[in-house]
Amino acid sequence: MISPLTLITGNSRAERARLRDLLHSIVQRGLEQGSSFCEARFFENRGNSVVIENGVAKALGSRISRGVGVRVIFGRRWGFASTNVPSRASTETALDDAVSAARSIANSGTEEAQVITPMPETGTVVHDVKTPPDAVSPEQKVKQILDMEKTAKSFDERVKDTFVNYRDSWTKVAVCNSFGTSVEEVTPRTYVYCRVISKEGANMQTAVEYSGGVEGYELIERAQSEELPRKTANKAVKLLSARSPPRGTHTVIVDQRVGGLFMHEAFGHNSEADAVLGGQSIIADKMGQKIASELVTIVDDPTVPGNGSYTYDHEGVMAEPHTIVKEGVLVGFLHSLESAAKLRARPQGSARAQSHQYPPIIRMSNTYLAPGPMTLDEILRDTKTGLYLTGSHSGYVETQKGRFTCRVEQGWLIENGNLTEHLRDVSFSGLTLDALKNISAVGKDLRIDAPGTCGKDDQSISTDAGAPHFRIDGIVVGGRT
Amino acid sequence: MREEVDIVTPVERAIARLSATGVDFFDVFSSCSRSLKTKVMGRGIVDVNSIIDVGVGVRVFKDKGMGSASSQSLDLSDIEETVKKAVAYANVAQPDPYFKGMPTPSRAPKVTDLCDDEVKNLNPLDVGKLTKKMIEATREVRQGAMMSGGVDTSRFKTYLVTSTGVDIEDQRTMVGAFLSVTYKEGEDVGSSSEFEYGISVPEIDFAKIGKKAARKAVEQFGSKKVESATLPLVIAPDPASTLLFGLAGAISGEAAVKGRTFASGLLGKQISQDFLTVVDDGTIPGAVGSDTYDGEGIPTRRLTILDRGVLREFLHNSYSAGIAGVKTNAHAQRGGYGISVGAGPTNLLVRPGDCSKDEMIADTRRGVLVTGAMLYPNPVTGEFSSTLDEGFLIENGEKGHPVKNLMAGGHLLELYRGVDMISKEGRTYGRGHFVPYVRVSGVRLSGN
Repeated sequence: MISPLTLITGNSRAERARLRDLLHSIVQRGLEQGSSFCEARFFENRGNSVVIENGVAKALGSRISRGVGVRVIFGRRWGFASTNVPSRASTETALDDAVSAARSIANSGTEEAQVITPMPETGTVVHDVKTPPDAVSPEQKVKQILDMEKTAKSFDERVKDTFVNYRDSWTKVAVCNSFGTSVEEVTPRTYVYCRVISKEGANMQTAVEYSGGVEGYELIERAQSEELPRKTANKAVKLLSARSPPRGTHTVIVDQRVGGLFMHEAFGHNSEADAVLGGQSIIADKMGQKIASELVTIVDDPTVPGNGSYTYDHEGVMAEPHTIVKEGVLVGFLHSLESAAKLRARPQGSARAQSHQYPPIIRMSNTYLAPGPMTLDEILRDTKTGLYLTGSHSGYVETQKGRFTCRVEQGWLIENGNLTEHLRDVSFSGLTLDALKNISAVGKDLRIDAPGTCGKDDQSISTDAGAPHFRIDGIVVGGRT
Repeated sequence: MREEVDIVTPVERAIARLSATGVDFFDVFSSCSRSLKTKVMGRGIVDVNSIIDVGVGVRVFKDKGMGSASSQSLDLSDIEETVKKAVAYANVAQPDPYFKGMPTPSRAPKVTDLCDDEVKNLNPLDVGKLTKKMIEATREVRQGAMMSGGVDTSRFKTYLVTSTGVDIEDQRTMVGAFLSVTYKEGEDVGSSSEFEYGISVPEIDFAKIGKKAARKAVEQFGSKKVESATLPLVIAPDPASTLLFGLAGAISGEAAVKGRTFASGLLGKQISQDFLTVVDDGTIPGAVGSDTYDGEGIPTRRLTILDRGVLREFLHNSYSAGIAGVKTNAHAQRGGYGISVGAGPTNLLVRPGDCSKDEMIADTRRGVLVTGAMLYPNPVTGEFSSTLDEGFLIENGEKGHPVKNLMAGGHLLELYRGVDMISKEGRTYGRGHFVPYVRVSGVRLSGN
């Protein structure tokens, strides 16, 4: 078995020591130049991809991304700069650029930068996996992923096009800062995405299924055993006979993926303390208040398995689970070193950066609604009319207005507790606080299973989300009928 | 001034290695960008970021199979590894029956004014001052704004070489500014945003962005829910541009010609009334969507894509053109030094109509003036279901109160068929795209 450490640059003992020395020396130099805080962060990502389309492995790709980001507080202002060349000279230039950037806003009259003094952390974490993706040859990957694609293609004659995209990566992040923190973390991620277009006459529909996380190549075996390609094809074919939802205000029951999307988009972004400090969150002044139904407990937890898992955040803080809402009451925000200082909170490791080219900002990890007491059948039986929505597409939120929109893959009408007509192209929108208060039933079947990336401030980051089945009353659903 | 990064030598090294491998086709693309970005959050600037991004991407075709690799390092050893990996992967990839080869070089007159020296020489202090102008202007409208956004100034150098003889170096600059402004009155929230982008600093009025965002935010106070109904929409240029890009995406590249979008079968068909004409023009001097050559080295051009309501053109790169059995029309788009080469529009210009925006509203007994919405459809089906993020109820021909929690649903082609008025005024984006106000009849809205 190949050790993950051999796959990342600078992982012989001597090279790791050299990298640590470089980061330490930059931090020291930053302090000598007059910075009150200095952080140097090395980032490296190596990845591979395979693109299969209609039985042809038409493209295989590889990528390397590497560099150092330097962040300072100088003259009570933040400055950040990065370089793709992790040499001493280039990193020192990045430090100079960061200091000069901070100097440039010295008299901007804005709020002063500050950070809380964290407990210094030292350590190295390597997330081991059963089968490192690099231990599998490109030929073998192509063969197995072609097999998956074939399953989808042969499902039904109405399957028009099939696509399976595979990618794997190793990411190394090493953080040193002027509080004495010096940590390294190496994280593998594997992801597979299956898409099917079905066609019957002029009617064409599309469906996707995906799986991913902090895992190795064993993910592919799991995806095969869970029949991911067959499920995708089945969904695409069934959507051909679905219809547009009835527009208007409805009671909706959502599955784990739609629920996860709601928890992340509609609510989660409001709990990021940079939004709170910047006047962009509708819950900024509601700490300790009841903001949701008492059935609602929302947690962001980087320590549970998921695509958003990590041990240290990118400020070098040890990650912990964060309860944001407990039984309907707002009890916490997600923090960086800065927001923790300004809001007098304890940082629990929520600051991450897309790469060395960006400064760490507050991000969600694995965000979920905690389970309740009911089964899906019980929730359905308790619902006279409404919509059952499954499979998330995308969502967005305007946190400052407290409004959200979620696009979902499909749904069913609920009539007298039974699922009847199949629906497609469903979106719903609402006011976050109204929706949280209107959660009227929560299931026991929690699943964190929405691996993806979240965009914020031009940065994409790996996240996951989940929920048990739950019910919201009074939701506006868009539709044609 | 900073030392220039050499992006030519690494490409030459890669080509030297590739030429000895016996592959059928290859291209090598390198780029270097330097960006200065301010971030605004709360009441002012919270940080300034200086970012340098360099990299090289290699695509290799062997027996019609593609291998690719990219690297953010231009070190010789990394270039060697990148080339090696791309070639190895091309040998594993399978023949793509649709791949017909790469374009050969052709020359065109340079599209001018795409690179501004002032942007090249900006320092963090300059960018901070521009940002401050935007922030301070909000106070002329109303004190107490909470903001988010920033200013981004970037300069790019690129170099593309292909095994078929294309050899193009390019430089350009970009300036963008965005500000979201939020005011509160008790539990009521007034929030909106404004943006502008271009090639140079003087073409952006930073104070105007701040003022406009603040004015729009104040207008949003007192928003109310409205009942579900089927009503005409008067769609302002910002949301109307999403209608335009929704269609442009569906007629672009591989998906369009492989029958995978709702517009795949519409070439030559009437999709809207005859007063709707849309041109794509990549040759406009100083426009953000312009370039002398597209992402594969083909000279850009002016194309009428929607001619008096009839769809006349798909937007091709060489791959999709090969499938369609036509010549590429220069819409290849390259995603940085990564290896993707897609297709899409350059500058989209809608031909103005003959009524004013005010006449359009006055002509609407009851409807919604939509000022913020993303009306993008599902690209396969064409169905859309979108929230009207900002809008105003029109009653008896007059703009009324702002609306909230209102959604519009339907098919994009229904919206195109429903366009019954186009304004003479509109908004020009980055000296390129031009989008007027459009009125669309009979749109299904979901509300209370």
